[in-house]
Amino acid sequence: MSSTAGRRIVWIDTVDPDDALRRTGAKMGRLAEMARDGLSIPLAFAVTIEAFREHVAETGLDHRIDEVLAGVDVSDGAAVESAAETIRAAFRETPMSPELEAEIEEAYDELSDRCSDLNVPVAVRSSATGEDSSDASFAGIFDTYLGISGAQATINAVRDCWASLFTTRAVDYRLKRGISHHDMPMAVGVVELVHARASGVAFSVHPVTGKSDRIVIEANWGWGEAVVQGLVTPDHVEVGKADGRILKHDVSRKDIVSAFDFAAGVVVEIPMPARLRERACLDDEQIGAITAAVLEIEKRYGYPVDVEWVVSRHRRPGEPISIVQSRPVTTAVEESNPAGYDPMALAQKYIFSGR
Amino acid sequence: MATIVSVDEFITDEWYPGFKPAFEHAPYYVEPFRTFNKEDEKRFWFLDFHWPRGLTPLGLIWNEDGYNWGTQFAAENLPLPPGRGLVSRIAGIHTYASPIDVQSPYEIGERAQRMGPRLGEFLANFDEIWASRRDEVERGWQHLVAMDPSSMSLPELSTMLTEARAYHKRAFEIHFEIMYPLLVNYLGFYGMCAEMGLDVSQIGKFLQGYDTKIMETDRELWKLARAAKQGGLTEVFATTPASELAAKLDAMGGAGAAWMTQFRDFLQVYGYRTEGSCDVALPSWIEDPTPALGTIQSFVVKEEEHDFEKALAAAIEERETAIDEARSKLTAEEQTGFDAGVASCQAANFPWWQDDHNYYIDLKVSLPMRWAARAIAEKTGADHPDDGLFLFWPELTAVADGEKSMDSLKSIVKARHEYFDYWHERRPSMPKVLGTIPEAVTDPVLIEIFGLNQHFLNAIQAAGTDGDVKTLTGVPASKGKARGRARVFNNADNLHTLEPGDILVCESTSPNWTPAFAKIAGCVCDGGGMLSHAAIVGREYGVPTVTAVGLGTVVIAEGDEVEVDGDTGTVTVFKAS
Repeated sequence: MSSTAGRRIVWIDTVDPDDALRRTGAKMGRLAEMARDGLSIPLAFAVTIEAFREHVAETGLDHRIDEVLAGVDVSDGAAVESAAETIRAAFRETPMSPELEAEIEEAYDELSDRCSDLNVPVAVRSSATGEDSSDASFAGIFDTYLGISGAQATINAVRDCWASLFTTRAVDYRLKRGISHHDMPMAVGVVELVHARASGVAFSVHPVTGKSDRIVIEANWGWGEAVVQGLVTPDHVEVGKADGRILKHDVSRKDIVSAFDFAAGVVVEIPMPARLRERACLDDEQIGAITAAVLEIEKRYGYPVDVEWVVSRHRRPGEPISIVQSRPVTTAVEESNPAGYDPMALAQKYIFSGR
Repeated sequence: MATIVSVDEFITDEWYPGFKPAFEHAPYYVEPFRTFNKEDEKRFWFLDFHWPRGLTPLGLIWNEDGYNWGTQFAAENLPLPPGRGLVSRIAGIHTYASPIDVQSPYEIGERAQRMGPRLGEFLANFDEIWASRRDEVERGWQHLVAMDPSSMSLPELSTMLTEARAYHKRAFEIHFEIMYPLLVNYLGFYGMCAEMGLDVSQIGKFLQGYDTKIMETDRELWKLARAAKQGGLTEVFATTPASELAAKLDAMGGAGAAWMTQFRDFLQVYGYRTEGSCDVALPSWIEDPTPALGTIQSFVVKEEEHDFEKALAAAIEERETAIDEARSKLTAEEQTGFDAGVASCQAANFPWWQDDHNYYIDLKVSLPMRWAARAIAEKTGADHPDDGLFLFWPELTAVADGEKSMDSLKSIVKARHEYFDYWHERRPSMPKVLGTIPEAVTDPVLIEIFGLNQHFLNAIQAAGTDGDVKTLTGVPASKGKARGRARVFNNADNLHTLEPGDILVCESTSPNWTPAFAKIAGCVCDGGGMLSHAAIVGREYGVPTVTAVGLGTVVIAEGDEVEVDGDTGTVTVFKAS
């Protein structure tokens, strides 16, 4: 048991998984659940929701936020933007309690130790409650910082994540939906940055057609940032769920890669070395490992999921793939075609409907 | 906004000079065949590619027996949910056809309920059903071919004519009774494959490699070509026009006469075949062997002999490879449906039947009516036996029954010959479509046989708004790319003027166009689909072919430089300066 496991800080590999969603938010809570289910999760701790609540209560931020938001006219875009900016500035200017700072520093150092590293690069990720719920999809709305290194930088990044609870878009969304920020406290995850040979997303149902008989994988070299930003078209793989057969493997031209700049301590986008641009970034064994993990996660949750995965540079064939995130898919699952072949149904669908 | 092409020019009550129908005799199931009126502009009409020459008065019988009886009968009995088959109109001597839509959602639903079980039953028993129908057509054929019109009295000829008509009409009942469900199955399977993300240009391959009667005929033609070479007749074939070959070979005696004996034996078995579909005005090979001799001639002068066994084996191997390749891209669940679909479409094989039924029905069943009509004309003092083909059914039966004299019709017949010639000349400039262009069509025959798919409709719509079409899009029917000089043909009459490397541009092809594929570099058709004649033969001969481009014969001029891309289905036109 870690020495820093407690109220304000919890370790994802030791927190009670049944309690994890409530204490560490959706994103980190799911990581804890997946760790329990035997999936390979990077080392991580979370600054809990309780720590957040304590911070905003003790520093008086809570009251300031309520005051700033009280007079805002939802229909006035400029007013919403200005209020959001005021609140984020307040977060940045308000120091944490010395106790919390010390606990984060201690946990960060322990994470470095466990990674056999000094100032280990981490991903600092927002993990709000209700973030991925299907009725109000806040997916991707809050900040994540990749490649943070050092305790103080981590503490600053945690505060920036908290502040991102009040981006203009988030404030606007909550005001319009009548959701109080009190009902959406935020935990922050500090996660070992897995050195990615390749990374990407995988869906347990086709995200466009809704076909649930296959897994769809999109992959690029390095970290996923270049893909998220739309700088690169990823490789596209489809795998049949029933027998794990690769049905399709479209290799794209990948000119840009997201890499970690150790000198600057940030993830940067650099040109991909020419010899790797048109090569597939996953081999069949890696595709098999991703498929196995996605099937396990879908089975565990009982609904279609999308998953962010990383192939570590240190991974050897046969070892599991690192999972850094999973969440429910909002795509409507297509009703599967009736087993076999029904000429009349097909005729109705493709001929007589005047397609 | 809907694109409307006016029918004004073609509105008339008269079918040909001197004939207004009483609609007493015309067989139809839902709606009769007639001329255009203004109301027709609300519907969609397309120029039928089957008769590029146009139809004589007696030839128009096909519109009655084929479309207005055959398709409507089949579409009501299956029944097709959204349509009651096809109806046709004439503009001059040219046929336009249109689907008959069912409007009421209630009716469409009920028809679908009725169709489901019938379709299943048909597909499960296709072999038996087609075998019994084929036997029936053959029985009718044997009955009629045994007759000798030259020795028959007028009353006997009248009876023969009536029987020949009944046989003709029944043949087209059978034709569409089989064609509709086969097409429905094929198009449903096609849609399934497309949705599974399969390369639809491969679907034709899944169903290829099955022997047909047309292929059997081709093999016999090649045998005759080989015999001509072995008999030292290569020089004669190379230097004599096809139309003069028979006389020349007979006159030669020796090897020439011996070969002609062999050729006549062939004709006795395979010679009851017309150059073109369903037209009483067309002679059989027995009557005029020029087309068969022309085909043999093109085989004789070819260096290499076509190895049918090898080609068939290659087609089978290509089929199995294409199926394996497609299966590898499907999930286990999808494979179950795909395998069953392939099995169903192979067992009730539309492309195979396309060839087979042409032999038994389309290229043959008009002949007995032709023989009777010509014999009646001869017997009643017509100037020419063909004048019998320029009478309408009520007129011809009246002449045969002695109720009307041929003499009284002579001036009308003369006017009709002129009328035919006038409209025949106009064929290249006839509008491809008339009336209101729809967003989509649902009749399987229209979609696949006429190629009135989305490509075609898009091309027609685009042409309505923008005359400067440089690229045409259609169905990629046979893979590969070719560029060459465009040769635009409205019928098969001058196919012999094609030169190696030419790009054939036409409304559509039929079995008699097949020899042309040995010469051309590429082919573009206004109509058709994956399984039309040009598509099948194009694949067989490795000629890049795009079908269903809509307006190829309009947009492309003789001599234009054209590039045919059979992989993507695009045709690029480089205007000749």
